Amino acid sequence: MSATIALLGQPNSGKSTLFNALTGLRQHVGNWPGKTVEKKEGTFTYKGDTYSVADLPGSYSMSANSDEEVITRDYAGLEAPCFLVLNMEDVAKEQGKTIDAAAIEKKLGIPVMLFSATDMKAYDKFYSTLERALKSKSHLDVSSLEKEYEKLGGYAEIKEQLADNAPSGYTPMWLTVKVLENDKVVSAKLKNTLDDKTIKKIETLAKGGADAVAAGECKFAWIDEILQGAVSGSKSVTKLGRLDRIYTHRIWGKPAVVLTVLLGLIASFIPALPIMGVGSLVDMLKTAVATGLEGAGCPALVTGLLCDVGIQSLSFVIKMLGFVFGVTLVFGLLEEVGVMARISYVFDNTMGKLGLQGKSVMPFLVSFGCTMGGAAGARVIDNWGQKVLTIALAWAVPCGAAWAIIPMLSTVFFGAAAPLIIVVLLLVMLLHMWITAKVFGAKLVKTEDRCGMIMELPPYHKPKWGALFRYVLGRTKDTFFRVVKVVLLVCAVFWLLSYGGGSDESSLLYKIGTAIEPVTMFVGLPWQLFIAFIASSVGKEGAVGVITALYSGTSYAQGFAEAMSGAARAANLNELLLANVTRPEALAFIFAITFNLPCVVALAATYQEIHSVKWTAKIALYYTATALLLSCIAYHIGQLIW
Amino acid sequence: MKRLLELLKDGNSRTIEQLAAELGTTPADIDRQLGFLEHIGAIRRVSFSAQKTCGGSCKGCNPAECRGCMPKNAAQNMGEMWEVIKQH
Ligand SMILES: Nc1nc2c(ncn2[C@@H]2O[C@H](COP(=O)(O)OP(=O)(O)O)[C@@H](O)[C@H]2O)c(=O)[nH]1
Repeated sequence: MSATIALLGQPNSGKSTLFNALTGLRQHVGNWPGKTVEKKEGTFTYKGDTYSVADLPGSYSMSANSDEEVITRDYAGLEAPCFLVLNMEDVAKEQGKTIDAAAIEKKLGIPVMLFSATDMKAYDKFYSTLERALKSKSHLDVSSLEKEYEKLGGYAEIKEQLADNAPSGYTPMWLTVKVLENDKVVSAKLKNTLDDKTIKKIETLAKGGADAVAAGECKFAWIDEILQGAVSGSKSVTKLGRLDRIYTHRIWGKPAVVLTVLLGLIASFIPALPIMGVGSLVDMLKTAVATGLEGAGCPALVTGLLCDVGIQSLSFVIKMLGFVFGVTLVFGLLEEVGVMARISYVFDNTMGKLGLQGKSVMPFLVSFGCTMGGAAGARVIDNWGQKVLTIALAWAVPCGAAWAIIPMLSTVFFGAAAPLIIVVLLLVMLLHMWITAKVFGAKLVKTEDRCGMIMELPPYHKPKWGALFRYVLGRTKDTFFRVVKVVLLVCAVFWLLSYGGGSDESSLLYKIGTAIEPVTMFVGLPWQLFIAFIASSVGKEGAVGVITALYSGTSYAQGFAEAMSGAARAANLNELLLANVTRPEALAFIFAITFNLPCVVALAATYQEIHSVKWTAKIALYYTATALLLSCIAYHIGQLIW
Repeated sequence: MKRLLELLKDGNSRTIEQLAAELGTTPADIDRQLGFLEHIGAIRRVSFSAQKTCGGSCKGCNPAECRGCMPKNAAQNMGEMWEVIKQH
């Protein structure tokens, strides 16, 4: 006896394992004629006979009508003896399932066996079942499947048309179902063999008949009927974990995730504080170095550049890194344990209310890292208007650089109240996004009927701390180098601009600054902070460079200039800032830079995604304006408080 | 599967467990239905991660061809999402 065996089955059902075990080294890989699909063939001998085996591409998760699928189903359509191998018997046993192969065999009319492709001892059973199938020339009994199909609208009528003149090699049942499924390949085949009149008739019948979904339901009903009574112990009702019952709760889900994120952000201050301490130590170094340099007769310009620009910037950057580390750790952890996925689930409905797809949550979440990533992430949204709106809203999400600077500045100005400032900023962010959606939404998105998505939430698992810390440290390192470059450069430029030789008042920057101050104070920003705000449009870290230069350099605000006339170099930047900037001004500034446009790179990325100069400019202007408006509001509220 | 698609028309997203509960079946059965619906092109998996065309750099790749371009290492453990494809 000899035969060619075709292995049919879903991906990951164990076909390759079986194929390899059967053929061993006697296999070769080629291509199917005329297709780019891999063809795996091999041979084995059993009782002196040689059998050949072909491993077919898994048929199910491939899209209908792909090359793979057509090859596979051409085999499936062959009128050849067959038998059913129920693989992974060991797994079923482990899950406490018992499967009655004999009962299934009776219903299908072909040999059915339980099998473990990974168990070499099981192969005797495979060979004997193969022999049995070949001897009995067993064919699948599809009468009960057909009974299901007969319930489909149009099935009987189309089959009747195909009964006498179906293309050879295919059963009328199979062809009819494919016609109902609107299968392109089969339609083309029929057009070649049938006359126009019959085709027309079939097409009208198919249009009015059942669809692919209904045909699939028949198939499932048939499978269920076959398994009825043959499988036991499988109906394990999954219970939601306690956490998931809260997170996926219709009412409590939202407060629960918001609370989780807020607690996480507050917790991120804990690792950040010791690092802030290190930054302050570096700051103290400045005095020693400056005194040393001055003593050694170093020119004031060089000393200033080294200390006020170099050491001061470094101190600031180190302080920021603590927050980069803390926030990346918190978000990484939330994602790793599976909470992030719940967030995107919980806010799915909210997206709908903003006129967006549920998918938009992802770009928002990514924007916490980098707005550019958020803009690129919006690419999954097909609808242009929704994409533009998603990116416009993603801009409001504070990015990694903002997360470095804002908590740091908040801590400098507000000490222990800093976490509260962060909470308020997040709430304002949500409000901002909601208003922005209303402002732009009307033009960008139409209320169309939205379809819900299906989500498979990842299981909760314990974080892999090693990998997480490597990731967080990597991110912190990257941020350090990027930020240090920008801060140093911006700081040096502005420090030099403000360096007036003898007196600070003679610098051009000072003159311009004091000239515009009456206007900038309207939004609560002294001129130095206003320039820092402008610089933050380039990149948020730019703001830090400007502050460092303008406050620790030589041109201080007037009140402080006097204090500096003594040996006041000792004062560190924190004290300088506190002495020169009032709390309402600081609050105004924090709001201004948080909600300013993210950075020029994000601006470019936005244009790359939406291809509209008009909308890119519109969004940018809107953000500049709202940032100043929020700054103004924060300033006035601050004045009421302090 | 008709009922599954019908259910989603209200605009609310659901997890596989919720679908199973609402349709009075098991998550394994929902998995099977999703497999079939994906196969016939009624739903599709949402892929956020970078596609092969640009290797994830997303510099200079054609946004029209490359449908997902999340930065590397972003959104690793977000589970799976399927969206319903509008039938015209
Ligand atoms: N426990 C168990 N695992 C199996 C069995 N058969 C295959 N596998 C595993 O299932 C996975 C998928 O198998 P594979 O042969 O690649 O499936 P294919 O996609 O159908 O070719 C592999 O990791 C196999 O090791 C089995 O009988 N028992």
